[in-house]
Amino acid sequence: MMRRNPGFWFALPLIAAMLLFFAAPLVIVVWFSLMPPRSFDLTTDFGLQNYQSAFADGYGPPLMWSLIGATLTTAITAALAWPTAKILHRHAGRWASIVTALIALPIFISESVRLFGLSVFLMPGGGILAGTLKALFDVQIGTILNTRFAALLGMVYIHFPFMLFPMLLGVGMIPADRIEAAQDLGAGRWAILREVELPLAAPGLLVGGLLTFVLCLGANAEAAILGGRAVTVITAAIEQRFNYAQDWPMGAALTVLVILVTAALVFPAVRRIDLNRIIRR
Amino acid sequence: MTKSPAALSLTGLTKRFGAMTAVDDISIDIREGEFFTIVGPSGSGKSTLVRLLAGLEAPTSGRLHLRGLDITAMPANRRPTAMVFQSLALFDHRSVGQNIEFAMKMKGVAPEARRLRALELLRLVRLPESYYARPVTQCSGGERQRVALARALGSDPEILFFDEPLSAIDYRLRKTLEVELKELHQRTGKTFIYITHSLEEAMVLSDRIAIMRAGRFEQIGTPDEIYRHPTSRFVASFMGEVNILAVSQTPAGPVFADLECAAPEAAGAFAVLRPESLRPDASAPVTFAATVTQKLMLGSRTQFHLRAGQAALIAEIAAGSGASLSLGETARFGFDPADIAWVQA
Repeated sequence: MMRRNPGFWFALPLIAAMLLFFAAPLVIVVWFSLMPPRSFDLTTDFGLQNYQSAFADGYGPPLMWSLIGATLTTAITAALAWPTAKILHRHAGRWASIVTALIALPIFISESVRLFGLSVFLMPGGGILAGTLKALFDVQIGTILNTRFAALLGMVYIHFPFMLFPMLLGVGMIPADRIEAAQDLGAGRWAILREVELPLAAPGLLVGGLLTFVLCLGANAEAAILGGRAVTVITAAIEQRFNYAQDWPMGAALTVLVILVTAALVFPAVRRIDLNRIIRR
Repeated sequence: MTKSPAALSLTGLTKRFGAMTAVDDISIDIREGEFFTIVGPSGSGKSTLVRLLAGLEAPTSGRLHLRGLDITAMPANRRPTAMVFQSLALFDHRSVGQNIEFAMKMKGVAPEARRLRALELLRLVRLPESYYARPVTQCSGGERQRVALARALGSDPEILFFDEPLSAIDYRLRKTLEVELKELHQRTGKTFIYITHSLEEAMVLSDRIAIMRAGRFEQIGTPDEIYRHPTSRFVASFMGEVNILAVSQTPAGPVFADLECAAPEAAGAFAVLRPESLRPDASAPVTFAATVTQKLMLGSRTQFHLRAGQAALIAEIAAGSGASLSLGETARFGFDPADIAWVQA
């Protein structure tokens, strides 16, 4: 072996770790997905039968629900995070940092705990919302618990910070004078948003969007805790295959499908992000 | 006699930020096609004033009329004016052409018409047409200036505002762009309102100059009037190096206090004397002995720093003429009182 760049030797431990703990498990998952159903070894004949039955056995709808859920959550959190980020940026200072901290704090609490909290809040009859309304105003309300809408609400609630913080970085990349220049040249509020603010904040939007979308695609707890049986997402189906059905090859095949869908969406977007530019600002 | 309304008419325009008054009750009419420059030190309120005019800031009180039409409450995006920002504020995520076309796009002009007009504007600001598709980030400082100018002209404004656009540019390029700007003003015939902290720049460019201080106009006049008849020491000192001599009254008549010589026909509390009016000439009407403390070659002129009594003075003599005084030498210097501009404050 010839002498190499010292950078290679410094990177070697990390390369080894990535190969061992990231690449190798992925290879095993792909390998398993090509094994016959319900087998537990990696030495049987290769075949695509798991992928064929993935669509034949009704795993299409869970995958679709996951994609719809992720898309809707990304869109809704983006729509909520944009004005929030704009306000926080404009009023940067003591007040804004308190609000930012309040938004960030729940991240340190387990997701399931927060979702169960939301569940208690939404519960019919004696739930916090319904109970309070009944006690104070004598108003009877139903519940949205165990519906797709409740699952979506939980998704938005959990993933909002992941959209907001990259968005704050993005909004910080819009110089105020560019907005004034656009105004001066005849741009209205929407034109400024479309022509100036969104393109300049694009790196933050993309990072936030990707983060939210990918996390949502792998989300399970929201649908399980708040959605009841109203909706099955692909992650739940995968878990079910691995844990209860003891069908590792099928679970692996579904996993590979999710990874492929994610990669198809993420890689083109990642190529448009200049991380250096975001960090330098 | 029919009098056409002023291009822009300010009536008692005032802007306060809390307890601070940035623009203090300014009233003036700016004529159609005029190149009007507002000069002031930083903090004088000149940038706030131009932001009020462009509609980026709302006045606390006062009215603003454009050709007789009250535009005080009109938002910036509906005013037929355009501004060249100090930072230029170019859209770095767009090409040169898209920057220039921005205002036209906002007005809904068809893409082909926009392109033709953008190419025309590129020629007007002396950029090659090949720059149309170039990203603005690949333009040099001077080219970016021109793009900003073309972008402002692209909105076909009735009035153009300039907020110190040349302040961050090196001397030679600034001089070139000053000349081009003046030519552009003459060619387009539009009303230009220009903000600068450099009176020299204002002199080159303007039809009329307003000197701004603490939110008010200290003096308004043509470059010639400002140069020859400054109304205060503030205005006079703004023009670069001038000699200001205090006059005090004695029983024997007015004298230049620091020079300890008589000040015949004193018409103000202070005498403003330009460096070129002070000569090593013993036969001048007013003379005094002065010691050369510094000698600087300025190219076309030689500058002498002088000490005479309590006063530190500056004299400038055309290179090649006059005495070849050297450092530390004492000689008689003099001036003609007719060259003095008298000010009261």
